[in-house]
Parts: sequence; C-alpha cells; structure tokens
Amino acid sequence: MASRLQFENNCEVGVFSKLTNAYCLVAIGGSESFYSTFEAELADVIPVVKTSIAGTRIIGRLCAGNKNGLLVPHTTTDQELQHLRNSLPDQVVVQRIDEKLSALGNCIACNDHVALAHTDLDRETEEIIADVLGVEVFRQTIAGNILVGSYCAFSNRGGLVHPHTSIEDLDELSTLLQVPLVAGTVNRGSEVIGAGITVNDWTAFCGSDTTATELSVIESVFKLREARPSAIVDEMRKSLIDSYV
Amino acid sequence: MRLEKCWFCSSTVYPGHGIQFVRNDAKIFRFCRSKCHKNFKMKRNPRKVKWTKAYRRLHGKDMTQDTTFEFERKRNRPERYDRNLAENTLKAIKKIDKVRSDRAASHIEKRLKVRKDKERREAQKELEQSIHLVKAPQVLRQDQSLTLPKIKVEVSQPKSEKNQAMEE
Repeated sequence: MASRLQFENNCEVGVFSKLTNAYCLVAIGGSESFYSTFEAELADVIPVVKTSIAGTRIIGRLCAGNKNGLLVPHTTTDQELQHLRNSLPDQVVVQRIDEKLSALGNCIACNDHVALAHTDLDRETEEIIADVLGVEVFRQTIAGNILVGSYCAFSNRGGLVHPHTSIEDLDELSTLLQVPLVAGTVNRGSEVIGAGITVNDWTAFCGSDTTATELSVIESVFKLREARPSAIVDEMRKSLIDSYV
Repeated sequence: MRLEKCWFCSSTVYPGHGIQFVRNDAKIFRFCRSKCHKNFKMKRNPRKVKWTKAYRRLHGKDMTQDTTFEFERKRNRPERYDRNLAENTLKAIKKIDKVRSDRAASHIEKRLKVRKDKERREAQKELEQSIHLVKAPQVLRQDQSLTLPKIKVEVSQPKSEKNQAMEE
C-alpha cells in the first residue's frame, strides 16, 4: 500500500527520507508525525533510523543505497557516519565517497540489482557503487535530465520515470533495469519523481498532494497490492482449494 | 570534530582556526594560519618551501615510511562501536605515539651520524696527508733551525749617579 504524508507541510517526502528493503532513514524534524508514519508502517520489519547527513535534513537527496549498502557523500561528518554504522544492520555496508558531486541521491538511482548513474561521476566512484551496492552501473539520462536520481524511482518490481520520457527511452531503460517502467507524475503533476516518492519492494510513501489517479498508477506499477501478505494468502487459497476440490 | 591537516605545511588545523578555500572544481584547501594561506596565494609549491612537512619528507629530513603512519588515516568505512575495542584503541594510541616519536628521533640521529662519520674520515685523511707538517717536540729541541733562535737582548740599565758631585 502506498501512503500519503507530509514533512512539516512539505510534500517532497523523497527528499527527507530514504527507504530501502533493509532499512529506512528519516530526517530529524520538528514534528514526530513524519517519523511515526514510517514507524507505524515499517517498525516490525526493518529499522527506521533518524539521522542527518552533513548537518542537513535533505538526506534522501544526499545518500544512495539498497539492501546491500549505503553510500554517503564526503560532506558527511564522522559522527553521522558512526551513528549510521551503529544503527543499521551488520550486513549493510556503510561507505563514505570522496566524490565531487555530493548529492548522491540525485546522481544515483538504484534497486538491489542495477543502478543508473549521473554521466559525470568519477570512474572510481562508479567502481565503489558497483562494489558496495552489489549492482551493475549504467550511466544514463532520463528524458534528457542527467540527474537520474531525481527523475525516477524504482524498486525490484517496477519503476516510475519522468513524464516526458519517450517510448524508446522507456524501452531502453526497462531492458537495462529488467523491471517494467511507467512514465508518470506524483504530487499533483510534479515531474521530480524521486523527490515526491520513496519506495521499496512492498511499500511506498508519497507526498500528500498526490492524487488518487497518481496513487493508483504507483500502486499498480510497483505492484504494492500483490505484496500484501493477505494477497499472497488469497492466491495460495485459490490453488489450495483447487487441489482439495 | 575532525582535526584536519593544513594543505601547505601539513600541521593539524584545530576547530575554529585557519581558513579554507574551495576551488571551483570542489577541491578543498585548508590552511592552519594566514602564513600558509598567503604562501598558497603566492603560488608557492610546498615541496620547495623549506619549513613545510612536504619539503622535509621529500628531502629525507623526516621519516616517511613507517607502520605507525598507517593508524592516523581518514576512514570512509566505519567499524561498529564496540566498547572494549574503543578502550583498547585509546590505550594503544599513547603507546603508538611513543613508538613513533622514538623512531622519528632515531631516524634523525641516523641521518646526522652520516655527516659526523664523514667529518671524521676527512680529518683522518688530512692527518695522513699532512703529517709531515707536524714536528715532534724532540726534533724541535735538537734541530735549532726549526725554531726561532734565542736572541739575548742587552738591556741598558741607567748607571746610578749618586757619587757624582754636584757641579757648582
């Protein structure tokens, strides 16, 4: 299920949070309601960690990660790095990157198997991404935008990209990523997908401006309805009853 | 708080000290004091300025390769906090620092020893080559020509004129 929420009256929830299959990072805010929404949805499955990166709250745009690892920019302080290491599970590798571009969340978009990267990233950084996140890295643009992390959001089950992406680009990207992609918007027509939504394999959080239509597109492309435990039981029951009868 | 190293002289920059310059390709230059910043603005190469660490390293003045330097490093992949490990690390820091300063001192001693040896060798050589200039004291006594001749100088003493009668 996708939920709609706000961070202090701001709908760009992808900016203030980072959601993966193994952990969730949430910005430190004045209000607890943002954090508690995540907590209510995820607490018994994955750790939800409050953190800042480089003293800022825009953590979703500054870091990139999946279930294997987390990459943080060179501006991250030692204390924050240590806090992340101590809060995240042992199998998640936390690595700080000495890269000129410090908004890694805008430059890298990834799921657990593939990553799209900004065209100007260092070769060394590309190697670290491949090594730490355990992914195959492709340097790509999305509808002419080099900030791939801002203009798309994808999980292992599906992905949403910038509304101006052409059909050919969509085909190319979806063959690279090996997941079905859809061009769409969030937050009542916002084209910065990465800022408006944060998603993993079984849940999504989007800004409270998101319309019902957008929400239904999101739920269908990320296959969030099927991911519910009840959905699996329903499917199972069908086959079980079939076999009994 | 991280204690950064000065780009120019490699000394430690403590929080609240110095200045930092960020070039338009995002490279950060930190300076410990205005002296280093001014030298940077004059486009001086720290390898060619004698008082910097870079010069001393390059010219073999200081120890460059040592296992104790491996400990003080910026680490990008942190370790999970472990109280015992942290305690042991804090204990080890003092010992390692002592080992490092001892090694540095012995390195300098070794470096200076080379020159002392050289001076001694040169002195030895000079002694061998120019020994004929030096005469033994016995020879000097026997051969008068080698020393200045003893000259007796007559001192004219005024004669007393007590018994001379006054001319009147």
